Amino acid sequence: MTIEKIDLDLCTGCGICIDSCPMDVIRMDRAGQKAVIRYPQECMNCEQCALDCPEEAVTVTPYKTVPLISSWG
Amino acid sequence: MSRGTSQVRRSFEADVLVVGGGLAGCTAAIKARQTGASVILVDKGFAGKSGQTPFAGSYCVFNPEWGDDLDAWMEQVSSIGESVNDRVWTELCFRESYERYLELLSWGVRFGADGDARAGVEPQRDGPPVGPCKAAMMETRAPSMTLRRQVLKHGATIVDRTMIVELLTSGGQVVGAAGIPADAEDAVDIFTAKAVVLAAGAGGFRPGRWPIDNLTSDADCMAYRVGAEITGKEFADPHHARLDQAASVMFGRYGRDPEGGGPPRGRFLDSDGHPLPPMGVLDLDLDRAVHAGHGPLFIEMPDGVRWPMVGGAAGGMSVHKAEGIRPAGTDCSCNVAGLYAAGDSLGTMQSGATYAAIGQSVLGCSVTGAHAGAGAAAYAARAGGPAHPAGADVERAAEAITAPLRRSGGFGPRWVTQMLQNTVLPYYVLHIKHGDRLRAALANVEFFRDHLVPKLYATDQHELRLVHETRNMVLNAEMRLRASLFRTETRGCHYREDFPVRDDGQWLAWVILRRAGDGMELFKRPVSAEHRPLTAGGVQ
Amino acid sequence: MIECDVLVIGGGMAGWFAAIKAREQGLNVLLADKGYVSKSGETIYAGDTAVFDPDAGNDLAAWLEQVDVIGEYMNNRHWNELVFRDSRERLADLRSYGVQFEEKDGRVVRLPHPHANIVLPDTHKFPPTVSEVVHWLPGFPEKVRKHLIKIGVKLKDRFMVTELLLQDGRVAGAIGFSIEGNRVEVIKAKAVVMSAGGGGFRPVGYPTHELTADGHAMAYRAGATITSKEFVSPHSTNPKDPAWPPMYLFFSAGHSAAQPGMYSAPHLFNAEGDEVAARGVAWHGWIDAEYEAHEGRAPLIADLGKRGVLPVSGPGGHGSMFGHATGGIVPVNDDCATEVPGLYAAGDSCGTCFIGANYSGFGFATAHAAATGARAGLGAAAEAKGLGADGGIDEKAVAAATARLLEPLERKGGFTPNWVTQVLQNTLAPYFVLYVKHGDRLQAALSTVEFLRDHIAPKLYARDDHELRLAHETKNMILNAEMKVRSSLARTESRGTHYREDFPGRNDEEWLAWMRLKQEDGRMVTFKQPIPAEWRPDAAKSYEERYPMRLPNEVPGSGAPNAAGEGR
Ligand SMILES: Cc1cc2nc3c(=O)[nH]c(=O)nc-3n(C[C@H](O)[C@H](O)[C@H](O)COP(=O)(O)OP(=O)(O)OC[C@H]3O[C@@H](n4cnc5c(N)ncnc54)[C@H](O)[C@@H]3O)c2cc1C
Ligand SMILES: Cc1cc2nc3c(=O)[nH]c(=O)nc-3n(C[C@H](O)[C@H](O)[C@H](O)COP(=O)(O)OP(=O)(O)OC[C@H]3O[C@@H](n4cnc5c(N)ncnc54)[C@H](O)[C@@H]3O)c2cc1C
Ligand code: SF4
Ligand code: SF4
Repeated sequence: MTIEKIDLDLCTGCGICIDSCPMDVIRMDRAGQKAVIRYPQECMNCEQCALDCPEEAVTVTPYKTVPLISSWG
Repeated sequence: MSRGTSQVRRSFEADVLVVGGGLAGCTAAIKARQTGASVILVDKGFAGKSGQTPFAGSYCVFNPEWGDDLDAWMEQVSSIGESVNDRVWTELCFRESYERYLELLSWGVRFGADGDARAGVEPQRDGPPVGPCKAAMMETRAPSMTLRRQVLKHGATIVDRTMIVELLTSGGQVVGAAGIPADAEDAVDIFTAKAVVLAAGAGGFRPGRWPIDNLTSDADCMAYRVGAEITGKEFADPHHARLDQAASVMFGRYGRDPEGGGPPRGRFLDSDGHPLPPMGVLDLDLDRAVHAGHGPLFIEMPDGVRWPMVGGAAGGMSVHKAEGIRPAGTDCSCNVAGLYAAGDSLGTMQSGATYAAIGQSVLGCSVTGAHAGAGAAAYAARAGGPAHPAGADVERAAEAITAPLRRSGGFGPRWVTQMLQNTVLPYYVLHIKHGDRLRAALANVEFFRDHLVPKLYATDQHELRLVHETRNMVLNAEMRLRASLFRTETRGCHYREDFPVRDDGQWLAWVILRRAGDGMELFKRPVSAEHRPLTAGGVQ
Repeated sequence: MIECDVLVIGGGMAGWFAAIKAREQGLNVLLADKGYVSKSGETIYAGDTAVFDPDAGNDLAAWLEQVDVIGEYMNNRHWNELVFRDSRERLADLRSYGVQFEEKDGRVVRLPHPHANIVLPDTHKFPPTVSEVVHWLPGFPEKVRKHLIKIGVKLKDRFMVTELLLQDGRVAGAIGFSIEGNRVEVIKAKAVVMSAGGGGFRPVGYPTHELTADGHAMAYRAGATITSKEFVSPHSTNPKDPAWPPMYLFFSAGHSAAQPGMYSAPHLFNAEGDEVAARGVAWHGWIDAEYEAHEGRAPLIADLGKRGVLPVSGPGGHGSMFGHATGGIVPVNDDCATEVPGLYAAGDSCGTCFIGANYSGFGFATAHAAATGARAGLGAAAEAKGLGADGGIDEKAVAAATARLLEPLERKGGFTPNWVTQVLQNTLAPYFVLYVKHGDRLQAALSTVEFLRDHIAPKLYARDDHELRLAHETKNMILNAEMKVRSSLARTESRGTHYREDFPGRNDEEWLAWMRLKQEDGRMVTFKQPIPAEWRPDAAKSYEERYPMRLPNEVPGSGAPNAAGEGR
């Protein structure tokens, strides 16, 4: 895992983490209330989202799962 | 399944368009604004939080008043850079470093302890591991947001979260760019400008271990497509990282670890526990040790803890300031009219075949940013009235850019990226090179280029960005493989197992790539005679 | 040192029969398996076996024609006949060992071929499909294991054989190690049966990761000829859940595939919503699906009828296994003896070229494994009996083989088997290497494989017994990769599951031949073995009668000329 979770109880929906993410991993939920992990595949683990979140709602780990190779997909 | 042309279209116009909001782009935007030009800065992330600038922690600054000797500094870069640095740029950067440093201070960037430059007090400077060059330690992350504020303060417009995909030209001259905003579906942004500064950073193959997954050599690729000369693609950036934490950024976790990601203070051990020879700033010794069968490698920290190491953390990046669009002059213009570049996008060869001095990269961004901003503004002023791209060209570009959204199937960008990574990331392709393996990789990359890339498809705007990034990574891979094949010698971070020695007779030269029709043309441009080492000539 | 009369390496269907038949000759038989006999290998997943029975109205000529046409004349008719004729007895044998079959009124139920009734778009003629299968019930491997023990076959589980030992030019035993505790042991034998199965590159979505073509590799190194590596077994997987293939959905609820009534041919749809011809799912076994993807019409969706709709991806499946019962060690007589004296081959290790260029009939693989297993067991037993007092194995040779076996453990560093395997997979698993082939891409893969062979494989290291196994498996996979790539490069035509984009048509003039390979002066050489004239397709027949199945991109009804072999 890379970005692991956003704690929705803590998230205030300020949107800072969305700007912090250079890879467009995080988006606002449809209601515009909370941040959600939309494209986890692209996370490069730079931690900027976690560092910038004023509520410390974001968890990032230093591990990455290498995707299994399949022949096409 | 035709959805017609893009529904959402935004248009912007300015004298100078700056692509990329790292140190180079921000500096360029400010410098252009200071001449009175109108400026738009566009970033595919959020300017100030994207690119490599947030992670940098040192700035190389030269000041004779602190006892620095220019000849000795120049000698360090030429010897570590193995004589293929461009001494004009190396010297220019050193000479202007103090001025840029003062300016950064005035903007609010904070450097290491004790610094009071105005009073002539030297800040804490560090110069490991070899030579006299020294860099001032800089905060990480904060400076880039400071720069963003300065850009806005100077009156430039910032457009965040739009990826520039293509340069627009008119009569052989760059007159703007087209891009895709992240937050609207099937949307295209059109920028019209009298001059464009590409400051979109460097790029790799989404290496995972180095936080540059968002940098995909977009500048080099866009410039290449309109005919610009590209250089330095054969040199590799051999940054290492922890093997066990596949996604950790180097050694620490940025921002939290007081050590930041700075150079490790430990020593390298091979699988037998033998220490490896002390490294230069960055070199291929680790890869060579692994290739010889002495992997896994460890770094032993002062407290005795051993971390398993892996090389190639920046996976597919070249040496900073030795890769990118080749400048035609010190105004950072290039061979395509109206096109300027700065920072990691510009191949000044300020560094040579190896990264030669810590902090040199940030320095180069500052200096080239300033030159490019001023140069582009001057060009825009000369240009007179706005040269608009032809309406038909804009339509064609918009259509081509969004075409992957209209394909119902084909190949997903993530899968193609994975195939590319499989082909070019193993150490034995772009680090320990061999003609046979390079050609093998090239055959695959050509297949990706010809067969997979035209069939890339996107199911939403996020994937559309991935499609264009993937396309650029494939082109970058081709450039790197061809340049590596072309340079039939070993030098610095270009190591050819089949040509294992330096060949000064042939190769005191830069490899330049250029688009020729549908093909890629390569040639060498000799390092100027007075900058050659005295021992030049013949095989060493 | 362990001594026995007959050593059987690998205990799947082929090894079972070899061990039982040799033991029935009163010999001392040892069956070694790197897994656990009855729990490893492909056999445990098989659900059916083909049984030819003239009393049930089966017509040999019709069965042979099925194999000819679907196997595209790459089948060996002699072996087809032998295996078909043996199959009824093998069924009886299995029942006598306690294996239960789907029965009705005390008789084994015979089922028509699952594809016999497939309706195809009228542009595609479908080949005759007359072969019939029977189904065993779950639990059959345990039944056979019990029988093996009962009759006194010595089982050596969790023992990986790494090398055949030769003495005076003949096989005199083998060396291997117990996977737990890496205890090295030499097994001396008068004759050896290689029945170690086939192999792929540890594909996701197909439970054959323990099969790494060890049998082919060991025999090749001992001097045997290997055949037909260019044909592939293109099974599909589910890209969303790549390790859980639709295979299981086709076949069963997830355990053994041995459940009756489980086949149905899914309908495949491409990204444009068009149906991909069902022949893709049937005989060409997904090469058509690969081609759809190649042409940019993926993602593909399989409509499994009652079992729902699934996205499908290409051969994670067999990860470039060869077609079952086709490629492998070439037998030189009906007893499955090989060119290496004292060595016999059976099952997926044995290259009889039984099925040809496509998987030409359900249940053929296990029928072939059973028949060749029994024959190899009997042949090995006869040879062992004929040998007098054994001569022993040269100690120096044993010491050298032991050193080779343990070498990865001696090294403190180098390359881990897991990484090398991953690199090898990266090189070979993508569809555009061994499924939709092209000379340039094959050549590129070959360069990488040669580099892995010359530079990386000698530096493989192992930190424990588990990794020691992986190191040897990785070496074998690298060798298998070289075989597959070289054979694929050499066959400059398309046929069955061998599809060359740069040679997209069949070429009967050049290629009614088997592709063989062999070690010569340390190098791998490929050569053609022409198919006997009397087995070639009838030149008087039209192209489309000879080859009712279209190759990818081949226009149906275009009546391709014979000589040029171009299928268009
Ligand atoms: C971990 C780390 C540590 C480092 N430490 C140091 C150090 O201590 N000293 C030093 O001198 N150097 C260091 N460097 C290198 C240095 O950070 C870079 O060379 C420098 O920041 C490059 O600045 P730049 O402005 O050229 O590009 P970047 O900062 O990379 O900015 C490029 C910008 O362009 C944007 N962009 C890219 N493509 C597009 C597009 N198509 N459309 C729109 N926008 C686009 C990106 O989003 C990004 O914001 C380090 C780098 C890393 C990764
Ligand atoms: C999912 C699945 C479904 C199938 N369904 C059918 C079907 O319905 N009908 C059909 O006819 N065919 C089917 N097949 C194919 C068929 O199962 C095989 O072709 C056949 O079982 C091969 O038998 P074998 O004895 O040659 O090899 P295997 O059964 O593969 O046995 C090989 C044995 O050798 C051992 N071994 C390998 N290397 C070594 C070594 N170095 N040292 C010691 N031991 C070693 C392995 O552990 C294994 O036990 C199916 C295959 C699969 C995977
Ligand atoms: S920065 Fe934190 S609080 Fe703000 S939206 Fe993101 S997760 Fe929620
Ligand atoms: S760790 Fe970096 S790439 Fe990953 S979600 Fe956070 S900001 Fe984005």
